[in-house]
Amino acid sequence: MPAMHNTTEQHEIEHLRQEHLMLDPRPRGEMNSMVMDAMLTTSWKFWVVFAVLSVVVAICLFYTWGYLIAEGTGVAGLTNPVYWGIFLVNTVFWIGISHAGTFVSALLRVFKAEYRRPFTRAAELMTTFGLAQAALSVFMHMGRVWLSYWLFPYPNERALWPNFHSPLSWDFLAINTYLLGSTMYLFMPLIPDLAMARDRSTGWRKTFYRILSLGFRGTEGEWTHLRAAMNIFAFAILPVMFSVHTIVSWDFAAAMRPGWNSTIFGPYFVVGALHSGIAAVAMVLVVIRSTVKNMKYFLRAEHFGALGMLMLIVSMGWAYFFFNDYMVQWYGGNKFTDALLHFHEKGPTDWMWFAMLILNVAIPWLTLWSKKIRSSPWALFFIGLGINIGMWFERFIIIPTSLAINFMPFTWRTYKPGVEIPLSIGTLAFFVLLYMAASRLVPLVPVWEVQEGQLAHTLRKVGKETIVSVAEME
Amino acid sequence: MTDSRSYLAIFADIDPASYALDRLRELGLSDEQMNVISGIPVTEAMLGRPRQWTNVPRLALGGAVGGFLLGAFLAFVAPVMYPIHVGGQGILPGAPSVVVLFELTMLGMLAATFLGIFLDSRYPSYTPKEYVPEISDGRIAILFECPAEKENKFIEAMQAIGAESVKPAEAQKL
Amino acid sequence: MSELNNPQSKPKLKETEQGKWGLVVDQDLCTGCQACVVACAMENNIPFVGEEDAAYGRAMHWIRIERFWEGEYLEVKSTPFQPVMCQQCGAAPCEPVCPVFASVHSESEQVNSQVYNRCVGTRYCANNCPYVARTFNWRDYTRPEPLNNQLNPDVTVRRRGVMEKCTFCIQRIRKVEDKAKSEVREVADGEVQPACVQACPANALIFGRVDDPESNVSRASFSGRAVELLEELGTKPRVTYLKGGSEYARNA
Repeated sequence: MPAMHNTTEQHEIEHLRQEHLMLDPRPRGEMNSMVMDAMLTTSWKFWVVFAVLSVVVAICLFYTWGYLIAEGTGVAGLTNPVYWGIFLVNTVFWIGISHAGTFVSALLRVFKAEYRRPFTRAAELMTTFGLAQAALSVFMHMGRVWLSYWLFPYPNERALWPNFHSPLSWDFLAINTYLLGSTMYLFMPLIPDLAMARDRSTGWRKTFYRILSLGFRGTEGEWTHLRAAMNIFAFAILPVMFSVHTIVSWDFAAAMRPGWNSTIFGPYFVVGALHSGIAAVAMVLVVIRSTVKNMKYFLRAEHFGALGMLMLIVSMGWAYFFFNDYMVQWYGGNKFTDALLHFHEKGPTDWMWFAMLILNVAIPWLTLWSKKIRSSPWALFFIGLGINIGMWFERFIIIPTSLAINFMPFTWRTYKPGVEIPLSIGTLAFFVLLYMAASRLVPLVPVWEVQEGQLAHTLRKVGKETIVSVAEME
Repeated sequence: MTDSRSYLAIFADIDPASYALDRLRELGLSDEQMNVISGIPVTEAMLGRPRQWTNVPRLALGGAVGGFLLGAFLAFVAPVMYPIHVGGQGILPGAPSVVVLFELTMLGMLAATFLGIFLDSRYPSYTPKEYVPEISDGRIAILFECPAEKENKFIEAMQAIGAESVKPAEAQKL
Repeated sequence: MSELNNPQSKPKLKETEQGKWGLVVDQDLCTGCQACVVACAMENNIPFVGEEDAAYGRAMHWIRIERFWEGEYLEVKSTPFQPVMCQQCGAAPCEPVCPVFASVHSESEQVNSQVYNRCVGTRYCANNCPYVARTFNWRDYTRPEPLNNQLNPDVTVRRRGVMEKCTFCIQRIRKVEDKAKSEVREVADGEVQPACVQACPANALIFGRVDDPESNVSRASFSGRAVELLEELGTKPRVTYLKGGSEYARNA
């Protein structure tokens, strides 16, 4: 890089530095203390929200769930023939949210998208906590949840193994593999940051981080093993991520029901998961940026612009798969499918169907093409919120609304939720609560990855333009 | 055997650290007597170090095989041991078996990779180690063993290249 | 292929996909009196769910009488009464989807067995049954004294969280088979009568061995009026419905 710049060039460079985190390096020690500060500085407003959420979780989740187990599934709105309702909707929704973390930390890593670096941990935390809520929702919907361990394959004197013909057994294997895999993938790059936190803490925190960082120092051997493992994980967890939501979709597609028995469900659900997941990541990052100290350095407009672009592309993908499914069903003329489509569009939940199309397709397509809107955090927050609501409606239409129609018209009946509403609020509150607790205990930004990226980025002059140049450091 | 002591030379950047390693080799140390401890992963090529061994890929492969065998047991052996007929489908269904095999193979691979780190890096390890907290602040430290009588020569050489500090390495609780 | 659509060729189909026990429902004789529903509830300890739950569709009758109509009294056009119960399918869609093997095919009796103490209540089987023949214990329904004296000791009482459905009164099948075995003789045709068959005042229900071409139920199912519910789904039901009335009478 030439030593002398004229004033225009200097403005350009300054502008690039402000826009891009990777071009704006600060000493590692300073970044470390920023992240530690963010973790340790807690305002009274945080504790108020934490307390309110704890009360909501205690009442709407734990107490109501105990009531559900004691009284039986009858207190929910389920009935004949709508045997699955909001519990399954929540399960699919939370698994969808959890795909965002893997998408950001694995897929973007494989594609060497450098802008992922500051928020991979925030996204991976969403995966772990989202899967926890999905698991809770599955347990809520079971009639005899105290016997749910029977889905686990173990030798027993009843001479019974789980039934692997059943998509629910595949669900059990896939979701557990994904949960364990993504928790391990969360923990591995966290080890060096826990070591950093250990070096900068005192008291109970120091003991906590010392135990969790396993004695990490940063020797060549340790980095080699860690990086080899992270490379394997990044590639291996991608097929797992695709398989999980595909298998969840097969719970419906393998069933003999009008509207469900569709071969497109696999990729349709995966793209739907990415749709709600990336929108949720954007929402969480906007909240983190405005409430946590020092995050305005790490999370910049460029990150939201990139996420907004991803949301637009995935929204187009979702629309493609939705239309594919709809068109083939509409064209076929099967009288039960016809009745189902009519019920979607003109039945008691028709408002959900229209809202879904507006929130998932119309609004993203009308707004996210504009770089200005994409890069504005709060615009992205509300568009993302709309997408998440739209995707929840989509799952509601697929499960309870579609179950109202079947091959025996004498039994058709609409679904009216009961205790599912407080339980859904409870799981949402629990997700936020867990996330808030994690933000006080775990460094939210993987500083070593940020520094690694900053080392790889330089400015280069090509002709008259100063451009960003990224080196392949691996 | 001559007395040898361990030293930690701390550098602020990659370039001086790589020159320092060359200098140490000139002064007669072998690669095994040097170790680099850093706050970010620096590739061996950048520092001119020999390639590090790691068992993690082999363990991952072994884990995948183990997972596959477990999946094969659940999909092909367990239904034959205790046959139960459902839905007019055969006892050994083709497509569902693929799902079971895939998921358990991946689980085995991922779990073995993760535990491979623990095995290779000997985690968790809470015994006292040579380390200084500056390393997690982005410094690159070179841990080297030198003969006791030549230690001044080594210290001067490191400082000439631009080490921030050269201290005797003490094993302390992390 | 056109041969398969000919009503006269139905017996050929029956031989290749037959089960063991089968039921014939004659819709031209059914009066919709619901005696079968009541008898089934008494025989199989089906709980009373109460007014509110029944209004929401949670009534747990294993057999229901379906009827569709249009118009107002006196000009009402309606379909024949259609009693629907578990069809004990040969290729039952409810069986492969249960993750814990609570819904399995009985090799000896060729019916679908619901194993109450294995069921964990995922309800996938009920979603997958195209006949909507399964009911779920949403709560622990109590029987106030002295109604508990009416319980049939041959049949389990199910607790909450467990799926249940028509079993072709397997307890009666077992009892008759055991009696025949102890008397060293074969089970006679018509000796086994599920509760619904026994109670029907119009003799609209016939039960017996469909693998015996000479039994009453087999001969009734060879009729030109015979249809199977949702036949196009390929579930191979063991229940045959006779309807069509006088149009087919000369072929019966």
